[in-house]
Amino acid sequence: MNWNDYRKAVDAIPFSADFQERTEELVHRTAQIAEIEKECDTMKKRGFYRVLAIAAAVAMFTVSAYAASRWLSPAQVAELHGDPALSQAFERENAVRIGQTVQTDDLAVTLAGLVSGENLSGWTSQADQARTYAVMILESLDGTPLDMEDFPITDYTFTPLVAGFTPWSVNNWTLDAGVSLLEQDGVIYCLLDTQSVEMFADHTVYLAFYQGRVPSRDTFTMAEDGTIAFAERFEGPHALFTLPLDESKADPAAVERFMEDSGFEREWFTTVGADDGITYTTRETDTPDGKHIEIVPDEGQNAKP
Amino acid sequence: MVPTGTEETVCRLVREYSDMLLRLACTRLSSVSDAEDAVQEVFLRLLAAPVSFRDAGHERAWLIRATLHRASDIRRQAEKRNLPLEEAAWQEAPEPEPDLLQAVQALPEKYGAVIHLHYYEGYSIKEIGTLLGLSAATVGTRLARGRERLRKMLKEEIR
Repeated sequence: MNWNDYRKAVDAIPFSADFQERTEELVHRTAQIAEIEKECDTMKKRGFYRVLAIAAAVAMFTVSAYAASRWLSPAQVAELHGDPALSQAFERENAVRIGQTVQTDDLAVTLAGLVSGENLSGWTSQADQARTYAVMILESLDGTPLDMEDFPITDYTFTPLVAGFTPWSVNNWTLDAGVSLLEQDGVIYCLLDTQSVEMFADHTVYLAFYQGRVPSRDTFTMAEDGTIAFAERFEGPHALFTLPLDESKADPAAVERFMEDSGFEREWFTTVGADDGITYTTRETDTPDGKHIEIVPDEGQNAKP
Repeated sequence: MVPTGTEETVCRLVREYSDMLLRLACTRLSSVSDAEDAVQEVFLRLLAAPVSFRDAGHERAWLIRATLHRASDIRRQAEKRNLPLEEAAWQEAPEPEPDLLQAVQALPEKYGAVIHLHYYEGYSIKEIGTLLGLSAATVGTRLARGRERLRKMLKEEIR
């Protein structure tokens, strides 16, 4: 048996000849329905704002109540992402409503809420893996509407970090996380979907927002007690929230498995070490026993002994 | 940034990625109609909840991950209703022995996906790492362990 047999078997799978045509038609019909629903929503929202204006005139609500009504709730964000199961999860008792805002440069960043558990989402749940979902809200401080077409959202990162673990070892990338975006009324809603961070609940767990990509020494520092903070020299919008997790949900065995599955040495997770300034490349070599993988310094650089 | 959410963009993705995503879904699902449902739902999700893709690589990676997640969800729901299609079932089944495609379908997702992306789609270990958000070392380990499980299931080496 060889891999050509596999390729032939896959090529022989009898997919529908009109799959693309049917799917494009389905997309067309769904888009039409969405357009009608959007018009209905707009009409409902206009009514809602009128109610708010009346309330403002008689000063009957607080700033936080205003903020809460001005934004979509985490459940509404999940619903608009086409995930009613997750929307319901955000309404359950174990979901946490936070509503904490940090002003940074010309942005207001709000951590709206989060929920963790298994099988919460109709989209990304996996039988053997619990997930954490968090909703963050981005607004312009000067009131300019944020538009996903113009706002460089991909220049920014939302990532969980864990005290006692180096930022480059436990983050969005290693936790198999993704962010889905939604823009409404000049506000950008970010739905973070990550491997559950509850396993780290006996440590301080953060949610960081910053301008930049993969966490590095230029972005973060980790103190001797494991506390993570933004580097003093870091410039650009940034915010660091502490997640209110239930310490009893900590799962040190799962953390052990996470580190083991990564294939990296334990030291990489726990020790910052001296900055040698070296960048690394992954090299793959075919051997009779399979692929041999080496992570080596880029050309012209030598690792310190 | 490549915006999604418009009918035109999603239809382009349907034309560009349908074949690859259908094949990938079939590593998790033995039913062709289930695989087609999984891929259609992924495209429709982009219409309902637009994702801002940085570039074509990000676009491809998102589609691959979403398809694997959706296919796994459908499979899990089916397994709750029916008999499991897990590796253990193959080991216990006396006859007939599975062919290579069936054996790949019986692997846990983490092994089946990397095996398919490497041996059918031709992606390198590093490329698969980027697509699935894993380190190259993890992908290499999963490839090796997946091959070993296939060897045990099929009782022969695959060359």
